[in-house]
Amino acid sequence: MHVPDGFLSPQITLPAYAVAAPLWAWAARRHFGRASAESLPAMGSLTALAFVIQTIAIPVPGGTSTHLVGVTLLALLFHPLVAFTCESLVLLVQALFFGAGGITVLGVNALAMGLLGPLAGWLAWRALRGVHERAAVFAAAYLAMQVSTLAVVAALGLQHALSQRYFPVPVAAVLPAMMLPSLTVAGLAEGAYTVFALSLLGKANLRGLSPR
Amino acid sequence: MLLAGWVASAFAVSAVADPLALGAASAAALLVFRRGLLRNLRRVARSVVPVTAALSALSWVFLYAAQGRPPPLAPFGALALRASVLAFLTFAVLDRVNLLRAVAPWPAATRLLVLSLAQIHALRLLATDSLQGLRSRLPRKPHAADVVRGAGGITAALLAVSARNAREVSEAMRARGF
Repeated sequence: MHVPDGFLSPQITLPAYAVAAPLWAWAARRHFGRASAESLPAMGSLTALAFVIQTIAIPVPGGTSTHLVGVTLLALLFHPLVAFTCESLVLLVQALFFGAGGITVLGVNALAMGLLGPLAGWLAWRALRGVHERAAVFAAAYLAMQVSTLAVVAALGLQHALSQRYFPVPVAAVLPAMMLPSLTVAGLAEGAYTVFALSLLGKANLRGLSPR
Repeated sequence: MLLAGWVASAFAVSAVADPLALGAASAAALLVFRRGLLRNLRRVARSVVPVTAALSALSWVFLYAAQGRPPPLAPFGALALRASVLAFLTFAVLDRVNLLRAVAPWPAATRLLVLSLAQIHALRLLATDSLQGLRSRLPRKPHAADVVRGAGGITAALLAVSARNAREVSEAMRARGF
């Protein structure tokens, strides 16, 4: 789902870094400070968990596959900003150690997949959990996936509006290409996965993994 | 230095839309990073070309249908070339840089990277074992629902392992004076 290097110009990627930087600075103060012996291992564990969840491929009719994101799970278990920090680290590790995604688009991807989606999901979960807990979790994960995808589409659409010569693909082509799989497969898979995982985790011992 | 140069050149290349300038940048990158050339080109062909080519072809057909005349190919070529050059630069530089040594001046960042990478390897083994177990238990290829249900169970196991690892590493770091 994330944007690869070369699709967005510095006109978009640099402001995205400027928006993400204060949040990363907050995370660094919180997790790399004096109490880092406590919080670093927890952050490392959650980052690894998010990374590994994203390697689980879901087969899609037609022979291709999509993958889980799992960041909403972290937002619901801990906090949206913890999810943002972990997803940023996942994207950084993917870009630096596995050559996936990209360094110029790191800020855009972190905001879209790590902040906007999980934050929307977390807010939806808080609003709906009084009605029906499982439905609220499913709706939160489904919504998070759609918001993240829409944010990526918006960034690509903005790039097209800024320069059709740079990014010739119009929103009318990007929107269905990204939203259809997200609405019909990826969102449902993410919702079902988050419900399953949270119901199993209800009994798990999470002590030692609470970086908040 | 190489890392800083890579970041600067990545942003510089990401600003270029002219196919000729991108062609020159590609030629320069191929000349500078000759070692491991074929391997890195293969990685680019595997990871970048399919996505970019599919998106470009889809958009070109869409624009052709919408406008009734073929749109110019140059911007699509430039997009594919830019994404490929950036991916090639990334693979070539990362082949030559020891990232853990590069972040050594920042001990907390180094510890976080080491912890994350070590846990990624450990958790990936567990996830792979579990998914292979799922495959071996089913008489057919797992469907999306099987994988999603299995992933829920794997997550519970991964989080339990993560919690244990985090506690052990915390205690080990404290014992070593961090």
